[in-house]
Order: sequence, then structure tokens, then C-alpha cells
Amino acid sequence: MVVREETLRSYADLVADDPREFRVNGSVYTNPQIFAAEMQCIFERTWVYVGHESELPASGDYKTVVVGTQPLILTRHEDGQIYCLYNRCRHRGAAVCRQERGHSNFFRCPYHNWVYANNGDLIGMAQSTGYPDDFDRSGYGLVQAARLENYRGLLFVNLSDEGSSFAEHIAPVRRYVEYWLGRSPIEEVEVSLPPHRYEYPGNWKLQAENGSDGYHGNYVHLSWQRVLQLSKESTVEATQQYRQSGVARGLANGHGMLERPGSLNPNSSWTARMMQRYPDYDGAMRARFSDEQLMEISARRNILVFPNLYLFDTHLRVIVPKAVDRTEVQLYVYALKGVPDAINEGRFRGHERFFGPAGFGTPDDIEIFTVVQTGVRARGNEWNLLNRGQHRERVEDGEWVGHTTDEAPQRSLYRQWQRMMAQE
Amino acid sequence: MADAPTVQEAERFLFAEARLLDERRFEEWEALFTDDAVYWLPIDPDRDPARSVAIIYDDRKRLHERVYRLTKTPVLDQNPPSRTIRFVSNVEVVDGQVGGEAIVYCRQLITEMRPGGPGQQGLNVPRLFAAHCEYRLRRVDESWRIVLKKVVLLTSDEPQYNLSFIP
Repeated sequence: MVVREETLRSYADLVADDPREFRVNGSVYTNPQIFAAEMQCIFERTWVYVGHESELPASGDYKTVVVGTQPLILTRHEDGQIYCLYNRCRHRGAAVCRQERGHSNFFRCPYHNWVYANNGDLIGMAQSTGYPDDFDRSGYGLVQAARLENYRGLLFVNLSDEGSSFAEHIAPVRRYVEYWLGRSPIEEVEVSLPPHRYEYPGNWKLQAENGSDGYHGNYVHLSWQRVLQLSKESTVEATQQYRQSGVARGLANGHGMLERPGSLNPNSSWTARMMQRYPDYDGAMRARFSDEQLMEISARRNILVFPNLYLFDTHLRVIVPKAVDRTEVQLYVYALKGVPDAINEGRFRGHERFFGPAGFGTPDDIEIFTVVQTGVRARGNEWNLLNRGQHRERVEDGEWVGHTTDEAPQRSLYRQWQRMMAQE
Repeated sequence: MADAPTVQEAERFLFAEARLLDERRFEEWEALFTDDAVYWLPIDPDRDPARSVAIIYDDRKRLHERVYRLTKTPVLDQNPPSRTIRFVSNVEVVDGQVGGEAIVYCRQLITEMRPGGPGQQGLNVPRLFAAHCEYRLRRVDESWRIVLKKVVLLTSDEPQYNLSFIP
């Protein structure tokens, strides 16, 4: 491994953006130094999803997160605004918050009782006469993350002042995020706590690649297809045919998606089926959207917002890298706002059936992540192929559009990875 | 009180249930449940299952799908299959009944491992799951049947590796 590093010019050489044979070097999944560089060059320099505003509905609500290597507190202050603060007392460096989430009107350091407001302001110190009269508390608040953006309720943080604005970062995928929100007739979602959480002994990019991989379903999820056949929802043959429909899209800035076609026919799309079943929902959706918009909204998409967020039809999926071979994934199921309760309850039960650590689908994916993590240690040939469909994809409006089983989204992910890692 | 089990009866029932799971006799295990049964592994037991997700919230139909998937389909995440050894203890039969059902509490320690070749990520690692459990039992044709099996893991709200063996 050491030898290989010395022969490489830079981390960027670990991705071969070859027009016929796009490849990724296996060390991107196994080398701890590369992982450390990813945290620094990607997670601590770009826009990382940290939560949804509905997780913090009231002033004083907070949650703690780790972005890259950095412990942060996300909290709503009494001014109604959400702040993102480094979880480190300005005095001797103790963490001021130990909980995962909760409600508090201040953060008190347990070491010497320095007290901070939810916007980070230093508002109290024990035995403050030990400091001079002109000690300026305003210079000793909890440090705020460089940039925080609330985009339609989705909260993104960027620990660096430099680099793309959020608007630039999200632009290639923005319209798809809007379609995703459109299944709510008021275009809002509300996260339902607690999340499903799973952790696997493998690299974070395996989950990032797989969420928009349309190639594996018929093999990895055959047992799921058999369950659908048992319940007479769909034969294995019909499910496999469905999995040939739609497209895979690779977008600029690392984003990408797997997309199944939309439809106004209740037999062909979930949205149309719900509209047929619930007249109130139908009325609200038709009042808000044109048929053309409904065609887009009813398309089913797994959307990767680079680097750590997936938008799924039942949940927001957050990828939390912990070590080169350890990854946590959180599935935040959400309710669509402005729809009948029965629709959301059905979505929760449907989610549990496939997703989560005891679902009928997720464990098969997790198994594959561990199988890949085992295999990529072998160096007989160090390169993984991500060239499926390169010969047949087309470029439309700056997007690489391929067959639904092609690896266009994965190539976009690694092009952005390469760009960011080259800046090291 | 004729329809509440004694502690000894409850233990006999729970030990036998644990053995069916350890021996991977999933179809016999499934037959212990009534048609209106629920098998529930909450993330947060205080949340309403209608408004949030659980790790498992199986009605009888989904329980059947779970057993079918494990026994009749090419299920990757149980190939190789889990070995389990379960300990059941602290069995208590609650005085009184709810709707003709007896309430039984117990603690369980489930040990699990999937054997495999050398260097396989995720295999060959023993795992421990401590849980407090609530069972609701109903007497049907002279034997006890499960109306509710609720398993609250010590780590219910922590990230879990695969739980596709039946916890």
C-alpha cells in the first residue's frame, strides 16, 4: 500500500476518467490515509446535509452531528433561527453538549460552568471575577460553522468559507429536489423521529454508489421480489421488467439519480394511485400542479445530493462516514404534509417492509457492502470498473443520461470526488 | 385467573420459543402466533407506531413474509445463516389480564454469529443483544399463543448491523 502511494502523483489518480473504461482504484475503500483526506477535502469543504428543520421545531431544540471529523451542535435560538455551532467550550475545550438531541435554553460546559446561549453567545462564567473587568465576552462565544443554508427545510452546512455557494452546488439537482417535494401538495415534508440507523463494516462510498445503482436489484433483491410475488403484488417477472424502465442520470457537482418514469395512471405510479384512492389528495394536487408537473412529480427517484444525502420516496438517507471501513447510515422517514394521515401511515409501514436493519431489502444491500469491502483488499487487479453504459449514454442539458442499469450516477460521484481530492 | 399461566408455564413456553428460533425452526415458531398477532421491535417504545417507524412492526401477514423470505428465498443477508443462542430470564407474569390475554415480562440475551471464511467483513464476529420483552399470551385450544411479542433492545436507538435473523 505504501509503495502504491509513492508511485501515485496525487489522490486524483485514483479515479481514471477514461472515456471507454472509467475506473476507480480499490484503495479508495481501504486506505485510512485516503479516508482522512476525504474528510478534510470533501466533508469539511463542501455542503454537507446535517438535518431537516422539522427536527428542531421549537426554540431551544437541538441535535448534535459530526461533519467530517468535526462535532457540531445544530440548534434553534429564541430568535427562531437555526445556528450551527462547534461543540467545544472556548475555555478548555470540553464538549458543551453530550446528548444526541433534546431541548435546552442554553449549553453549560460541565467543566467550569461557562454558559452559552443557543446562538453561541457566551452569557455566563462561574466566578467571573477571575477575569479582568474589560474581558469581552462577545469574543468568546461558541464558534459558528462557516456557512449554513436552509433550503426548503433541508439544512446544509459548509465548514469552509471558500468554494461554491450553496446555490451553485445545488443547481444541477435543484429541479429534481422540487419534484421530490411535490408529492406534498404544500411542498413540505416533516421528519418523523426516530430514524432507522444501521452501521456496516465498509466504506461510505459503497452506500453512496449503491443508492442510485439500477443494476443490482434483480440479483441482490431477488428475495424481496419473491416476497412481492408471494403477496400477489407483483410477479418476479413484472418487477424485473419494471427495473428496466426509466433512466440513470449523472449530474454535475457529484449529484445523480436513478429514475423510474412518472405516470398519471394509477396502475403505474404511486402518486396517481394515492390520488385515485383519496379524493382530497387528488383535489389538492390538481389545484397545485399541472398534468405536466404531475408527470415529473410522480416519477420515482433515488437522488444523491453529493456527498452524503439521498432523497428517497419514504426517507432522507444520511451517510455518516466513521472510518475507512465503518459507516453509519440514518434513514429519516418523513410525512408528506397536507395529505391524509392514512397515506403517511401506509408509507411508514411500506418503508419498514423494505428498509432498515430488519427490512426485507436493506440487509441484502448491507451484505453486499461487506462483501465488496472484503473483496477490494485483494490487489490482483486494483481497479473497479464503473464503465457500464459509457458507450450508450447521451449528454442532455449538462446531464449524462443512461439506461437505468448504467453507472452514470456513480461516474458523476467520482468525478466530483476526483475534483475535490485534487485540491489537497 | 384461570387464564393466566403460572411462572413455570410461562417459562416453559418462552424457553421453547427461544429454542425454535435457535434451531431455525421458523415455520413452527410462526405457528405460535395468533392471526391478530403483532411482532414489534421498536426504536423508541414510547412512540406511536402509526406515526413513526420501528425496526420491526409485523402483523401476521408480514410475519409470514419474514419467515417465507428466510426459509424459501435466496436471502443474501442470511447466507451464511446466523447462529443464535438465546437466554431467557427474569420471567414475570403480571397479575390481571387485558382483554383475556396474560401479560408476561422477561429479559433476553441473544447471542448471534455468522460463521465464514477468514478475513470476511461482518462474519465471524459474535454479537450480543440484551432486551427487555413483553409478551401477551392467549390460550387457544389448551395451549398458549402469542398475541404480542415486543422486544426492546438495549441498543434499540443505536445503529444496528443486520438484524435479519429473528431477534
